[in-house]
Amino acid sequence: MAEQRDTTTHTIEFPYTRTLGAVYSGFLTGLRDGQLLGITSKDGRVLCPPTEWDPTTGDALDVDLVEVGPGGVVETWAWVTEPTRKHPLDRPFAFALIKLDGADTALLHAVDAGSLDAMSTGMRVTARFKDRADRIGHIADIAFIPESGKGEGS
Amino acid sequence: MSKAEPTEAVDPNAPVTGMDYFMQLDYHELVCPSVRRYRSALIDGKLIGHRCPKCKLVYVPPRGYCPIDTIETTDADEVQLVDRGVIANYTVVTPVQYYGQEETEPFVRVSVILDEPGGTMSLQDVVDIPVDDVHIGQRVEAVWLPPEERDISEIGNRSWGSADGAITGWKLTGEPDVPPDQVPGSAF
Amino acid sequence: MSNAVNDIAIVGYAQSPSWRASDLTEPQFLFPVISEAIERAGVERREIGFTCAGSCDYLSGQTFAFVMNLEAVGAWPPISESHVEMDGAWALYEAWVRLQHGDIDTALAFGSGKSSPGVPAEIYPLQMDPYTITPLGADPVSLAALQARAMLDAGKITEREMAEVAARSRKVAVGNPYAQVAGEFDVDELLASPYVTAPLRKHDLPPISDGACAIVLATAEKAKALSDRPVWIRGIDHRIEAHQPGMRDLLSSESTRIAGERAGVGDAKVDVAELSATFSHQEKLLTEALVLEDSVDVNPSGGALAANPVMAVGLARFAEAARAIAERGAHRAVAHATSGQALQQNMVAVLEGD
Repeated sequence: MAEQRDTTTHTIEFPYTRTLGAVYSGFLTGLRDGQLLGITSKDGRVLCPPTEWDPTTGDALDVDLVEVGPGGVVETWAWVTEPTRKHPLDRPFAFALIKLDGADTALLHAVDAGSLDAMSTGMRVTARFKDRADRIGHIADIAFIPESGKGEGS
Repeated sequence: MSKAEPTEAVDPNAPVTGMDYFMQLDYHELVCPSVRRYRSALIDGKLIGHRCPKCKLVYVPPRGYCPIDTIETTDADEVQLVDRGVIANYTVVTPVQYYGQEETEPFVRVSVILDEPGGTMSLQDVVDIPVDDVHIGQRVEAVWLPPEERDISEIGNRSWGSADGAITGWKLTGEPDVPPDQVPGSAF
Repeated sequence: MSNAVNDIAIVGYAQSPSWRASDLTEPQFLFPVISEAIERAGVERREIGFTCAGSCDYLSGQTFAFVMNLEAVGAWPPISESHVEMDGAWALYEAWVRLQHGDIDTALAFGSGKSSPGVPAEIYPLQMDPYTITPLGADPVSLAALQARAMLDAGKITEREMAEVAARSRKVAVGNPYAQVAGEFDVDELLASPYVTAPLRKHDLPPISDGACAIVLATAEKAKALSDRPVWIRGIDHRIEAHQPGMRDLLSSESTRIAGERAGVGDAKVDVAELSATFSHQEKLLTEALVLEDSVDVNPSGGALAANPVMAVGLARFAEAARAIAERGAHRAVAHATSGQALQQNMVAVLEGD
């Protein structure tokens, strides 16, 4: 006999494969090869993550990728106490906007800092790359960690 | 071939040109009162619907309103339906092997317009009718699972009038076909 | 200065209550809301010239959910209708634009959504950049928390002020029959509760809500014939910022500022402002961007912290602002709706009674 407040469960799932175009192909290939890349805008700013068009002017950008990081400064952060299954880490971590050295915009990524107390605005972090065999050219080929021995930026 | 694994690059040094993403979202939805009523009637071997007091259209399962007259319908508008009728429409699906596809052979889905008081059962399966033999006008009746095997727990708000778990499908009654020009034109 | 070619008025409005989890289908709880808005407007359903709906199939995870919602409207004989995969406020905007042509005199706009079946934290990352953000599962609370942290660091707000916004919103919500989270909460107790995603605590977050809202618009002559108290839309505008959070200024809502100027917020005194501040820290960003004085009654409904029926919550701010004018003696009100994460896109409207 049906109960009073039954539920039904529905799962939507599908494996997508997205083509990348020249800019994202360059960026993700860089990650696979152990490099963080930004794109140069017409007025000389370096955008990371790279975009195909300048978000300020709308100009189409030449695929002029330059190395940035691997270190950078945390501009703002949020401490995730209970990661979801979609998050890149399965233990508490910080999402942060990270201004990589050489870039003029901030990259959203995860900082595996260990605890909320280890996070602060202005701290320096550095990219931790997965082993080459595990890197596939994907934003999660990296995570960030506090730059060792460094506290809050001056 | 269902595609469940990400593609691998053949040359590990060639530029990365694709990114795989497996999206997966779960939804848990409370079954609405009118469908709870509908599916509990299925356990008892009954098909129920609502008949609009104004236009007399029968909705199965009941929706709680008539979308043509935009008036609400209630238990007072409940009608017990007959589990036999005529195939008014059908489609033969040749399955494409996309991710999640379980069918491998062509299969049919039919719309059955039930005998008075009416109601249309859509996307129904057939029993013992070869796919190539299905046609408009065939007289059919529901094939019910034995009462102790009925399980309606999968029927929810988005089941689109399914009777899965209670009715296996529709089989020929043996009566002569209804001439096509006498079959009401309807899919839903 | 009004940016309307033809003055358009709100002549009918209705909302459902917001529920944590309704056992009705979306068309079922939308149905009486549309009927009520139309009845309040005093128009015949079949004479409405244009209908526009705002909803998002991903919320309830049902294909063609937005098509089934038309059953609550009545689409036979065939009607002229449109749909936006956005909050109902953008459906209202499209209806407002449509009415500018002058060939029809009424329009229905509505928004609805069932957030309860899914997991919002898993759904919304799919809206984000598929290459750099979606694969990290960056969810709305985390993105809002980045914005809150930036405000705290800049000295623009304190955690206490955030808790005070939350407590005030839920306290005034006691008087709102449509609100979901209402009651008296002690600010010190709120501040003693743990972070969910620091610096945000549970009280800083909106509830998960199912709900719907509908509004009927009319052109000037029709509005005056239908209603003694039409609520005029004196100005309406919306603006969007860049997508990447690292390419935006999270300390100010520039898109809200521009939209507010274009809508004419500053042209005269504002009595009431209904703002879609989904997270407690966002209220201050919005009041600053709109240059609202302290005397403005902000979110007398309780706002999005009291009820957050995504896809209807922005339109509900229009309904509440209209309600303040038509029923509670306010003269001039601001309604604000938002879309995207951390106030990426914002709509501002100025509403006025006669």
